[in-house]
Amino acid sequence: MTTAPSFTVNATSVDLSPIPESERLLDTLRWRLGLKGTKEGCRTGNCGACTVLVDRASVLSCLTLAHEVAGSEVTTIEGLAAEDVGARIMQSFADEGASQCGYCTPGFVMALASLLHERGAAGDLAGFEEDLQGNLCRCTGYVSIRRAAQRAREAVR
Amino acid sequence: MAPFDLVHPRSTDEALAELRTASPEGVAVLAGGTDLLLDIDRARIAPRRVVSLRYLPWKFLEWSGDSLTIGSTLPLRALEVEPRIRQRIPGLWEAVRAVGSVALRHRATLGGNLVRSAPTSDLSPILLALDAEVEVVGPHGSRWTPVDAFLSDSRRPRLAFGELVRAVRIPEARPSAYHWQRVRPVNDISQVGVAVARSPSEGYYRIAVGDVLPRPVRILPAEEALRSRPPTDDEVRSAAELAGKLSPFATDRRGTEEYRRHIVAVLARRALLAIRTAAPRGPAP
Repeated sequence: MTTAPSFTVNATSVDLSPIPESERLLDTLRWRLGLKGTKEGCRTGNCGACTVLVDRASVLSCLTLAHEVAGSEVTTIEGLAAEDVGARIMQSFADEGASQCGYCTPGFVMALASLLHERGAAGDLAGFEEDLQGNLCRCTGYVSIRRAAQRAREAVR
Repeated sequence: MAPFDLVHPRSTDEALAELRTASPEGVAVLAGGTDLLLDIDRARIAPRRVVSLRYLPWKFLEWSGDSLTIGSTLPLRALEVEPRIRQRIPGLWEAVRAVGSVALRHRATLGGNLVRSAPTSDLSPILLALDAEVEVVGPHGSRWTPVDAFLSDSRRPRLAFGELVRAVRIPEARPSAYHWQRVRPVNDISQVGVAVARSPSEGYYRIAVGDVLPRPVRILPAEEALRSRPPTDDEVRSAAELAGKLSPFATDRRGTEEYRRHIVAVLARRALLAIRTAAPRGPAP
């Protein structure tokens, strides 16, 4: 069946015509709303490239149905850029050269935003880095991303 | 993904009624969806109707003294950030952390993991070691069944068509540990997983091994080798060796039988040593 889900994306209510109830949030964001900052990587929940926030918590938009987030607030990389936390994280990535081809970067930024929102700058760094292991990067070797995460954590503190 | 209709029942009765009116092949139940949607996408199953449990009041976490009841649709991440679980049931915390990534655990659920019954579940072994029980609701009301009886050799749980899992109960907080081995540490399927727990009230041990086909199992002779309180080094060594020797094993692309037996013995020894002298931590909430 096709029905129109009702949720907000980047603080704006989306006005969608009816979409299939089997549609993934990833496809709704990219192809219906034109928000191409959210990337499709593996489409199997393994790479983290499609990470977005649903009610401030990171989720994999490739494994989430658009209709399952009805009534929720969805934030993508485009919306996060307008927020203070998002701007600080992105600046940290730029300062540390933590982005090369850039395909994984939005996913990392969203995952980091979720962690900073969830526990602020508290908690041990080891656990913090472990919590970023769900995002894959094939360029950087992760060292610069770890530095950027640490820098963002300090900037938000 | 093949199209389907998605329905959102608002109560247990409505959800059970949705299942009653469907045929078993035509309907699927959606909790977090992190596993189900993969199966639909790969056309392993093609339900015409998907029943979402999103609006059922099953996202709860209830302590009653030493016992913990977990609502089946509570996201796994909620278990991880509850400090009393890390303190009082550390093996459960370790097992939850072993599932996917943070973003996956924001949606994946304990109920979904149990009902999907993957032989490679990182959660079933620790639930066995903790003597957990599953609450099943259906047309005839509610029943509690031990996890050991809920899991079956057929890769499907003992859940009749039309029944749902509402909650999982851990009867007592126990010193416990879950150790696993993988090719990659995150977002990979474990080659083996070993869960151990010690009952603080009775002193007995549980040892369960997962990622063996077709279901995780307790290794009773290994448990029985731990006779002293606390067990001696020799007893721990022989329990670990027995666990490696007696587990049922598969050879597949993730590892050979020989490798798995060796790793089970190593992990079982480490996990037992980790909990041998651990006192139950933290007061009852």
